[in-house]
Amino acid sequence: MTDRFCLWLLLLAACPPLAPGQGAPPRDPREARLAREVAGKGWIVTASRTQKGDWDLFLMRPDGTHRRDITNTPDYNEMGGRFSPDGKRILYRRIAKDVKIRHDGWGATGELVIANADGTNPQVYGPPGDFPWASWSPDGKQVACLTKTGIEIRELATKQVVRTVDRHGIYQQLFWSPDGHWFCGPANHYGESWTVVRLSADTSEVNVVAKFQNCTADWFPNSQRLIYSSRPANQEEPDGGKLAQAVKQKPGYGWTQLWMADGDGNNRSLVYGEDGRHIYGGDISPDGKYVLFTKSMTDGGIDTGIIFLMRLSDAPTIGGESIALRKLHPDAKNGPILQLSPGWEPHWTYANIGGGR
Amino acid sequence: MSRAGWLWCALLLVVVAVSCGRKNSAEVDAEVTSLGTVEVTAQVEEIPGAFPPNDLYNYAYVLKYRVLKVHRGQLPGQEILVAQYNPLKPRTTVADDVSGKVGGHVEAFRAGDIHRMALAAPVDQFWMGGIIDKYFQQPGVRYWAIWTNPGSR
Repeated sequence: MTDRFCLWLLLLAACPPLAPGQGAPPRDPREARLAREVAGKGWIVTASRTQKGDWDLFLMRPDGTHRRDITNTPDYNEMGGRFSPDGKRILYRRIAKDVKIRHDGWGATGELVIANADGTNPQVYGPPGDFPWASWSPDGKQVACLTKTGIEIRELATKQVVRTVDRHGIYQQLFWSPDGHWFCGPANHYGESWTVVRLSADTSEVNVVAKFQNCTADWFPNSQRLIYSSRPANQEEPDGGKLAQAVKQKPGYGWTQLWMADGDGNNRSLVYGEDGRHIYGGDISPDGKYVLFTKSMTDGGIDTGIIFLMRLSDAPTIGGESIALRKLHPDAKNGPILQLSPGWEPHWTYANIGGGR
Repeated sequence: MSRAGWLWCALLLVVVAVSCGRKNSAEVDAEVTSLGTVEVTAQVEEIPGAFPPNDLYNYAYVLKYRVLKVHRGQLPGQEILVAQYNPLKPRTTVADDVSGKVGGHVEAFRAGDIHRMALAAPVDQFWMGGIIDKYFQQPGVRYWAIWTNPGSR
């Protein structure tokens, strides 16, 4: 048994799946209030380890209840579940168990599968590696795929490429905006990798949203703003690096935070940060009022990822002691943030999938 | 000198000449002479900054080379920009599940070193990942180093 799996079992023990109708433990009355507020607002899909050790996709209510495995494939790992814009279907990667899952590279591994939103009727599209980083079009009839030769728009009915757009240095984590006019992703620009850019699907013009050590960008429902993860340079370590040492992180490496910005890169602001944790997987609720994210102890540590939810009106919020981060953001708020379950890359729909309540 | 002596001297000269002309097997191997579209001997002109660690994130780093000899293919000039994959790693162990075919015998990258390389271009067609390019304001092709061996003049 690997150390990672042992760690995962410990996390499972710390965060047991909640039974239907059972809310999150009300450690803070504000969390209980938030849980009640979001409980009926659709469904969240996330990849999460099963007790057998493989990754499956799980559906749950936004308060963490009614959690259920919708793939049940002990011989495969599933990752990257994304609801179609109408919430009726879901796409994800199905990855052979002997293939390493990279926290930032899963979208180009395994097979693309499209199923009903409750996981039934899974259909495989192409061989492993095909349809890389597939992202839904606004009408759900096409997907945009990120290949070395460009962004390919492919019809799902025929699987044919109908259009190709220059990828302008975007190299992973491609997401098509809800209005269909933009793409986003980390790119090589101005000499630096990990620069989040916005690329026009209409004119191929590109602009920088955030430079230096940014990734996992995703769209707000209005297609005007982006949420993304960022690990700013030169983060102060007032404890002399003890937090970093505790997770075997190199001194001065820093912690990844969740940020948001306009599509043109203006109005950048912190959403959530916590010294000692890496924040990834930002996903905005369909009404733009809430945000999901994952906290993990190590950078890229998908095995330590736990999903949280907060109101965007509570941004910026800083968790934990976070002496250095609070110094930089003295007006930050204090949540509440709601802990949901272990997992990675959550996505939210307000569609009625059924099977709960 | 006797006829046998002259013959012996001539044979010695031939042996010396062949030995001097033969390239070390670490410089010329089957990969460097066949992979990619261009094969060059070139000198690392400069390394424009410290290589970031790549224990979690893979990347390619663009180095400036001065071309000493073109063995195969064509180049636009004497100065070329070459992206090396995860340059902190020896070429013998640099290949991984996302790199495609890369390798060679160079142990480490230092300014002034001479390399014999098999190259392809543009880099975007071969590596879809982070690229650190301090020459981003300089237009022109970025080559992808498929195979990098120690070289000689």
